[in-house]
Amino acid sequence: MAASDHILVVDDDPEICKLVGDFFHKNGFQVTSAHNGKGLQDVLDRQKVDLVVLDLMLPDEDGLVLCRNLRSRSNIPVIILSSRGEEMDRIIGLEMGADDYIPKPFHPRELLARVKSVLRRSRALPDDVSEDDSGALYRFAGWTLDVPTRQLYTPAGDKIFLSGGEFALLRVFLNHPNKILTRDQLLTFSHGREIEPYDRTIDMQVSRLRRRLRDDPKSPELIKTVRSLGYVFSSRVERTESKK
Amino acid sequence: METKAKLVIKVDKDLEDIAPGYLENRGKDCVLLPQALEQNDFDSLKMMGHRMKGSGAGYGFQLISDLGTRIEQAAHVQDRQEIHDCIRQLVDYLGNIEIVYV
Repeated sequence: MAASDHILVVDDDPEICKLVGDFFHKNGFQVTSAHNGKGLQDVLDRQKVDLVVLDLMLPDEDGLVLCRNLRSRSNIPVIILSSRGEEMDRIIGLEMGADDYIPKPFHPRELLARVKSVLRRSRALPDDVSEDDSGALYRFAGWTLDVPTRQLYTPAGDKIFLSGGEFALLRVFLNHPNKILTRDQLLTFSHGREIEPYDRTIDMQVSRLRRRLRDDPKSPELIKTVRSLGYVFSSRVERTESKK
Repeated sequence: METKAKLVIKVDKDLEDIAPGYLENRGKDCVLLPQALEQNDFDSLKMMGHRMKGSGAGYGFQLISDLGTRIEQAAHVQDRQEIHDCIRQLVDYLGNIEIVYV
């Protein structure tokens, strides 16, 4: 964690904002609160934010829509904090691009641990790729990933925003093209942790990454599923040095 | 007269500055909730229950979250008796807890 990581808490309940604000401030974070979608936008327009903690039930806008909009234009990590804790809500939240989902009520210490973990994931790159490709430019199937700027470009040159998790996962694939990678390896390389029983993090992120790469999930060309083993990135990958 | 034993609640030390204020606000809820019930204002009851549910355990008070869940659900179906019971339990709880910061 950097000394002054800035967390934006978006929740219409002032007592949740106070709880998170006070607890995180005591633990070395800078915290700003917003109570609706407009407030979220106002803060993002004015300040640099390292992570957003987002409630789903806001008075002016659906938090899921805000999450999707945020993800479409930035890589700021998002943790959803919501009373809507059903499995489907969690899946939809993650599908909308959230990096984690915590149901209310929550213990602030758990939220703190999750925030640190997401920040670590979004910044710290896996050991096996961080040493040698931090200045790399990857080209594959007409696409380009510029590692220093974290920008993905379509074959037509359009920019595609990736979440921290998607970026880390794509980078692992590009570092190991045409090799079968197990879910465990993918999770370890991209997130720095081991897989747990019933953990679907990698499957969901692969699914999201396929969408970003416009790879048909029913018949994927780039990220292929290898039944009962994992995934393989099936493309020639060219690597040069980025000019950025 | 027999005095009731205090219910000791362990609360995270990092919440020591804000937990008393939170309980003070729940004390205000003990006035606002019956008022809303009296006025059949089930939307307000839903909202207050929803917020209690979301925040109580985070501050260290699991029962407040549990009562909030019940109030929110009861407000949905306009179950006045259940809401009344929850308010009574909330009043009892607030009058009987002793916080220990750990």
